[in-house]
Amino acid sequence: MAGLADLSTPIMMGIFLGGLYVLIALGLSLVFGVMKLINVAHGDLVILGAYFAFFAMTGEIMGHRFAIFGMDPILSLVIIIPILFGIGFAIQKFLMSRAFGVSMEAPLIIAFGISLIIQNSNQIFWTPYSRGLTPPYALESFSVGAVHVPLIYLLDFIAALVVMLSLREFLRRTYLGKAISAASQDSRAAHLMGINTGRVYAFAFGIAMATAAIAGVFLGLTFPFTPTSGVSFLIIAFGVVIIGGLGSMMGTFIGGMILGLAQTLGGYFAGATAQMLILYILVLVVLAVRPQGIFGR
Amino acid sequence: MRVTIPRLRGGLIPLVVVAAVLAVLPLAGAPLQWFLYLFLFFIYLAIANMWNLLCGYSGLICLCLPAFSGLAGYTMIIGTWVGLPIYLGIIAGAVVAALFALLISFPVFRLRGIYFAIGTIVVPEALKYVFLLWRPVGGALQGGGAGYVLKGAAEFSTVDIYWLALGIGIASIFLMRLILRSKLGLGLAAIRDNDSTAASSGINVFRLKLYSFVIAAFVTGIAGSIFYVHQAYIEPLSAFNISWTMIAILGVVIGGLRIEVGPIIGAAIVTMLHFQLARYAGISLLIQGAILVGIMLAAPQGIMGLIRKVRASRSPLTVSH
Repeated sequence: MAGLADLSTPIMMGIFLGGLYVLIALGLSLVFGVMKLINVAHGDLVILGAYFAFFAMTGEIMGHRFAIFGMDPILSLVIIIPILFGIGFAIQKFLMSRAFGVSMEAPLIIAFGISLIIQNSNQIFWTPYSRGLTPPYALESFSVGAVHVPLIYLLDFIAALVVMLSLREFLRRTYLGKAISAASQDSRAAHLMGINTGRVYAFAFGIAMATAAIAGVFLGLTFPFTPTSGVSFLIIAFGVVIIGGLGSMMGTFIGGMILGLAQTLGGYFAGATAQMLILYILVLVVLAVRPQGIFGR
Repeated sequence: MRVTIPRLRGGLIPLVVVAAVLAVLPLAGAPLQWFLYLFLFFIYLAIANMWNLLCGYSGLICLCLPAFSGLAGYTMIIGTWVGLPIYLGIIAGAVVAALFALLISFPVFRLRGIYFAIGTIVVPEALKYVFLLWRPVGGALQGGGAGYVLKGAAEFSTVDIYWLALGIGIASIFLMRLILRSKLGLGLAAIRDNDSTAASSGINVFRLKLYSFVIAAFVTGIAGSIFYVHQAYIEPLSAFNISWTMIAILGVVIGGLRIEVGPIIGAAIVTMLHFQLARYAGISLLIQGAILVGIMLAAPQGIMGLIRKVRASRSPLTVSH
């Protein structure tokens, strides 16, 4: 029989892993909250961030290797965040803004197209093989009593807290943040109050992609990834948002913890392949029982 | 107020004639290559028609088509391992797909609009892991990630499989005509335009949507099983792959969403793309994604919508909407 002491490791890892899931879900939640758009390309954009960090670290692209690189993945965020912000800004400004007027499903189909384009580009630039970000500290672990946890899991959790709190402060305190909140609550009223909603939307998408960049780098440090990994992380992000309830940042946080715990405990009791299945069934059950999420109104 | 639904022009006779010509094509000794093209066209046509029924006419943005085709394919192939004939296996697969649609309707039908899309995207991913874990028949070397081989595939020639695909392709066109001209079709149109008004005028919204969901699952199931008779092999990663959904969306969007002939044109173009892009396998997804984005921005009503618009602007008699 497994004792409680054995359980403390998966519980600890689950909570920390939940931090990574919160990080991935924040951008999805922001885009949904502001533009009511389900960005099905979110997972692929996160993976794109991971590939950018891979490129910055190894200099490998399309079979060539440029030795001048060798940046630390976390340090490379200084470059990757602006790039992904720009990509997000451009997607909203040039593609999505025109699709909103067409029909309800048009933005979704465009996001689907973008997802395919990014997946295929990642495959062209970095081959279909599994990649990972492995600076020396990614392999270290620390122990508290009987609990052994990889160091990177702790970093995931800290990054999630930092990004979440700074996003909250940004939305509360800055003019742009307040404008984004206003546009998400009532875009017509915000427009009448002199807020340029088109521009606000583009900024919101850009900021969501900036969080996706951070999520991508930490994801790459935690797990190996392939060009098609985006779909499974998209579904995890959906799960976090669904369980926590849309529009509630606290809910997103707790949703991430629940999914992280479900995955590590599922893996502990049922094995590695079954842990993803347990995750998906949990999402479907929550959808069936409480579609507005556990913390949704 | 008069309810108008865009309908297939012309009577039934041209369709029957075309179907008959296509059916006797193998007897006339057409080259074998044609049947591969046409086979894929009819499978895509059936799936695209069902997605048009779901998204275009029922307002259900359904991203779980691979769940139906994959489940049906697995049922049919596992059936051949326990001695079920392939013809019966195809029907059994479709029934399993329809029952599964009924089962998942409990969670996903509580969701509306865009939430429905999220709920359904989870389903094929979950099934993928079910079939990675579950080995209903065979030894340790079969099932799971290794997949199953169809037993008794030699009984079916390319032409036999072509006839099966022709059957489901043409049947899906007739089915769409039938549905859209029935009370179900009118009810669905009312729901799509405004579901609370439809509900208050006595339409059972839940039941009609469920009907079209189950019908779509059944037909997608048949098309999926026939595809796996052709492929003679099934494994979880490709069976529950999102590319099935993409084919359906691509076919409908290129041809024209909410237009009855849309999927016919769309499926033809998707089939052509499939064979043309085989040479550029490395960038085929990229091209398909770009087409999806381009069409949605430039001509959101697809090719048929564009043709209709041009025609309407030329004819002096039509009143513009």
